[in-house]
Amino acid sequence: MATVLFYILASTALVATLLCVTRRNPVHAVVYLVNAFFALALLFYMLGAPLVAAWEVIIYAGAIMVLFLFIIMMLHLAPVEARPAPNWRRWGPVLLLSFVLVSSSVLLMSVDTAAHGGVGSFYASPRQFGYTLFKEYALAVEIVSFQLLFAAVGAYFVGREDWGEGRKGGRK
Amino acid sequence: MKPELLFLIPLLPLLGASVNGLFGLLLPRQVRGAIAVLAVAAAFGVCCLLWPLSQGGGTRTVLATWLASGGLQADFGILFDSLSASMALMVTGVSTLIHLYAVGYMHEEQDTARFFTLLNLFVFAMLTIVLADNLLLLFLGWEGVGFCSYGLIGFWYAKLENAGAGRKAFLVTRVGDVFLAVAVLWLFAALGQVGIPEVNGAAASLAPATLTAIVLLLLAGACGKSAQLPLMTWLPDAMAGPTPVSALIHAATMVTAGVYLLCRLFPLVSLSPTAMTVIAMTGAVTALYAGTCALAQREIKRVLAYSTMSQIGYMFIGVGVGTVSGAMFHLLTHAFFKALLFMGAGCVIHLCDGENDIYRMGGVRKRSPFIFWMFLAGGLCLAGMPFSGGFFSKDGILLAAFAQGPGWLRLVWFIGVATAFLTSLYTFRLLFLVFAGPARRKVHGHALPGLMRWTLPPLAILGLGAGLLNLPPLYGGHEALHHLLGPLAGELPAVDHQTEIALAVVAGGLFLLGGLAAWGRYRTFPGERPAWYKSFLLAGWQADLGVEWSILKPFRGMARFCYLGLDQSLIEGLLQGAAETCQKRGEALRRFTSGRVSTYLGGFAWGLVVLCLWFLISLVRH
Amino acid sequence: MIVPLSHVLAFAAAMFFMGLGCVLARRNLIMILIGVEVMINGAGLAFVGASAFWQQINGQVLVVLLMALTSAEVSISLAMVVYLQRRRGNLEADNYNEMHG
Repeated sequence: MATVLFYILASTALVATLLCVTRRNPVHAVVYLVNAFFALALLFYMLGAPLVAAWEVIIYAGAIMVLFLFIIMMLHLAPVEARPAPNWRRWGPVLLLSFVLVSSSVLLMSVDTAAHGGVGSFYASPRQFGYTLFKEYALAVEIVSFQLLFAAVGAYFVGREDWGEGRKGGRK
Repeated sequence: MKPELLFLIPLLPLLGASVNGLFGLLLPRQVRGAIAVLAVAAAFGVCCLLWPLSQGGGTRTVLATWLASGGLQADFGILFDSLSASMALMVTGVSTLIHLYAVGYMHEEQDTARFFTLLNLFVFAMLTIVLADNLLLLFLGWEGVGFCSYGLIGFWYAKLENAGAGRKAFLVTRVGDVFLAVAVLWLFAALGQVGIPEVNGAAASLAPATLTAIVLLLLAGACGKSAQLPLMTWLPDAMAGPTPVSALIHAATMVTAGVYLLCRLFPLVSLSPTAMTVIAMTGAVTALYAGTCALAQREIKRVLAYSTMSQIGYMFIGVGVGTVSGAMFHLLTHAFFKALLFMGAGCVIHLCDGENDIYRMGGVRKRSPFIFWMFLAGGLCLAGMPFSGGFFSKDGILLAAFAQGPGWLRLVWFIGVATAFLTSLYTFRLLFLVFAGPARRKVHGHALPGLMRWTLPPLAILGLGAGLLNLPPLYGGHEALHHLLGPLAGELPAVDHQTEIALAVVAGGLFLLGGLAAWGRYRTFPGERPAWYKSFLLAGWQADLGVEWSILKPFRGMARFCYLGLDQSLIEGLLQGAAETCQKRGEALRRFTSGRVSTYLGGFAWGLVVLCLWFLISLVRH
Repeated sequence: MIVPLSHVLAFAAAMFFMGLGCVLARRNLIMILIGVEVMINGAGLAFVGASAFWQQINGQVLVVLLMALTSAEVSISLAMVVYLQRRRGNLEADNYNEMHG
């Protein structure tokens, strides 16, 4: 059952990615990508990485993709929807994919958690994970945190309003 | 009587040419002509004085060594035996008269310095041919006459057709010169000698096939200079030059150089019967061809040009049947009467205000009876009036041809007889159309300069009386020329007197027949009646067209192919193709630096593909 | 493991190449960045699969660090997207070819 579920989720992720890269509208692409990331998260869980799965959803789908959406909408990069009424051609694939994902997650959650869901012999518990992370990879954690700081400063600097204005006449 | 004085004969005209060439523009007009005439006259005088040196076996002197290297020994040497002496005497004598005539002819011309320089230079080159003792020196003179004739034919080069005529003459004779050069080189390779007596002596040691080949090459060289088939297209156009030039070069001297060459090398030539027959046939066919063409010509000098071609054909027949004395006899008489005819034609043209076309002349007799009688004398000699010089010489050749018996040479004799009729016909046609009847064109009278008049009678006398030079025993003569030439004269089969008389009667009859036919048709001008055969003959059997289609067009086609096909397409194509390929590859590579991120990332991706393939292949291998 | 490692890797490779295709073929800067995200996720999946196969936790740790790095990278790239949009007015990658030649 786990094997079958794995393949279903894998194909879901692939289909979602394919649809993502072929969309013209960036917002649609982002939504399909969120779908894919969700499927990936479930896959991670099935491969014995629950913490990674959680972070996939939280950080990737929840922060990074949302940031993409922020920027797209801020810069008016996507055309405004003219038709408020939905039609099946546009909503069909994502609904189907979402249905698959929801049903898979329900299925996974309904499996007996005491035996770690029988999802495989390997299971990295958060305690183990934190232990390894902060003991063996402490330096890496510090460096990555520095990097996040640089990124924040840099992002603020590059995205300033008065950056480059009045230098060569502004907009091209 | 030192033999070294012989070198004065060619060097005096050369001196005259140098003086006129270097200082001619500084000298007054009269002096230029006088220098030229004196130079040639002095050469004539020296030739007469030194005549005794040519008796016996002849004299051979060397001025200086020219080339001595390996087996080759060629000197500036003179061979003065009876053949070269008689020829030199004729050349210098006739040249003197023609130079005098030229002084009168060119009295209105500005550029006389160049003219007299070239004329004297020509005489020098001709004398080099005549007197040379080795084939290389002869070839030097050969080329020299070719150059001088080019310069003289194209003398009035400002008119493009004159320059073109000069160029045509030079190029066509050049073709013959190549064959002559090959023959000389072959002789040197085979015999190790270039001296003429040595070559003549050693000729017997050559293989028959080699011998025939060499003689045919010599014939080709002679055909070029003597305007025989197939290298004859230049002679009619060469009449674009001044009349003294035509008289000197195209009557008496250059065109006879071919005959002289064959006579000089007769011991070599006579060893190959095939070649001799070819020589005779060439002469016969040319004589017939030229005779037919002369019947349709409209310019007075072109008639005479074709007539010259025809008569030289007779000389070739003479050489081909084995009679050097006959050929030389005809050469001498022809020189006299043809030079006379050309000079007379120059006078006629002068009298008719520069008119060349005989259809528009007429009645010149009334205007100048003197010219008429002079021209008549020359014409009768040409047509072969019995007991004139031309009669004896032509008859001598035909007799020799007949005496060779049945076979090809009998055909040659027959063609010669037919041509004799044609000769008489066109000569009388010319005489009637030019001199008889009323004048067809109104002209203002122009007096003839004295020099143009009084140089004609000596030639007339020589022409009419030249029969005495070689009178056959039938008429009580001693065949002086034949005996003079001695062993060089060629052996002849004996002919009985009946045949001789019969042939003479035939010749005389043809003369009268031609005269009557011309009288019947041309005594009153019949008017211009164009016909296809007339224009065919007028254009010389369309020989120029033949040359154009057979040689010039393929040559131009090949040149165009080499230029467009090889040079442009192939070589430039290769080079340009290489350059363009480099450029195109460069352009193609340039697209990799488009500045677009997608291009660079594409590079990454392709690199990744290559790496994956590498790993895959190494995986499969192990 | 529930599936052979080769399947997991095949799936990861498929995601990676789809992301690569998106990066190469799309002209919009946003879509290029999305393609980069897909590629990184494919790599992450490979890491997790390997960690499950060899039953070691280091792969997963690497994935977490990867996610952190990605967030940093995305924030700066999107800030640059904002800047470019303000300068040029469009986000066509083909227009940014001043380094051509």
